[in-house]
Amino acid sequence: MLITKDLKLAEVILRNYHLIPIVSRFGIQFGFGDKSVAQICEQYNINPVFFLEIVNAFNDKDYLPYEKLKKIPLSQTVNYLLKSHHYYNKVKLPDIENLIGRLEWEGEDADRNKNVLQKFFGRYLKEVKEHTANEEKEIYPYVLELEKNYNSEKPSSTFIENLTKKSIKDYADTHDELNAALLDLKNIIIKYLQPAKNSEVTKQILTETFKLDEDMKDHTKLEDNVIVPVAVMMETELKKRS
Amino acid sequence: MMSKISYLIVEKSYVIRSGLTQILTSFPETGNIEEIDDIISFSEKFSEKKPDVVIINAKLIEKNPEVIFEIRKKNVALKLVVFVGTRRADDDFPAFDLKISVDEAKNTIIEKLQNLMSEIIPAEKDEISDELSDREKEVVKQIALGKTNKEIGEILFISPHTVITHRKNITRKLGIKTVSGLTAFAVLNNLIKIDEAL
Repeated sequence: MLITKDLKLAEVILRNYHLIPIVSRFGIQFGFGDKSVAQICEQYNINPVFFLEIVNAFNDKDYLPYEKLKKIPLSQTVNYLLKSHHYYNKVKLPDIENLIGRLEWEGEDADRNKNVLQKFFGRYLKEVKEHTANEEKEIYPYVLELEKNYNSEKPSSTFIENLTKKSIKDYADTHDELNAALLDLKNIIIKYLQPAKNSEVTKQILTETFKLDEDMKDHTKLEDNVIVPVAVMMETELKKRS
Repeated sequence: MMSKISYLIVEKSYVIRSGLTQILTSFPETGNIEEIDDIISFSEKFSEKKPDVVIINAKLIEKNPEVIFEIRKKNVALKLVVFVGTRRADDDFPAFDLKISVDEAKNTIIEKLQNLMSEIIPAEKDEISDELSDREKEVVKQIALGKTNKEIGEILFISPHTVITHRKNITRKLGIKTVSGLTAFAVLNNLIKIDEAL
């Protein structure tokens, strides 16, 4: 299904609950009655084109919005990515960490099992934090600065000079390690962990891990298919202009 | 990972091709699926893709069944599946390994195809066990203790290259790739104690 601006947002969520965290990331609160996507975007001061591209991309994995997204200011995409970071670090990861803390086992291996999982997840948390912090401190500010200069009549000459020294391509870093860790977590829980006494919690951890994994993959796609190519284009143009 | 089964579907109808593809995609053993809508390009496509299984509509071979006999003769291991419409459901197709019909229920078709797949794959399945060998367990243990490939090679008297091969096989068998993940596995399986872990 293609989501359009005239559809009721309630209808959209009722059809695909996976969009719940995405909609929340735009700051939209529930209880919005029968308002259409366009009306809600206006109310929350959201660019409707951007909103539609993001929800469509999450709704249908084969939907390729990149060409349209590339024409929207990078600052909007960056802003969205920042909100996703916040969601991972402040909401989702602490949730999973709490769930792991609630697991209980019978027998002598109980402590060991919990320690192993907590240690593994703790390390993963740290990696995600470092990764997102680096993007927020280095990459996103650079991208915003780049866009500002690209749009300016008189771009800063120091900025352009520095372009010979660094490029967004240096930042095009690997998310592979982070993805691999989530896949490992799934395998460890499904295949190798002793069954916990409270198996409902195990199932919750697994489900949340799968959801987080999907969300993060879409996040990476935005970086790789929108931020990086647009920034490369701007760098090339700026160098030519000087 | 065991090798995947590749398919070539020869069928005029888009709807039927898509339906077959959808069923095949649901099997984890399925690899590449090629679709063509006529018999003319069949031989060429067949030699290009070398599929393990060909699914072909009976109607398309009515006029020249030789195509099939020829392919059958040259490719003994190939599995040939004939797809028939309602009227030909009772006909025999001796050159083929399996007949599926448009009238059959989804589960019937799935069972038939699964039986066919188990004829192709079982030999490999026995060979490649997902159980770690003693040597591989030793490598996991050393990884969990924080050793590098070079160090592991020295401890186990094998080349770093062999260590890398072991690591690849371990990841394939366990589905675990990162050092932290392998460490967790090592502790959970009593290969090391938790306070020894990296």
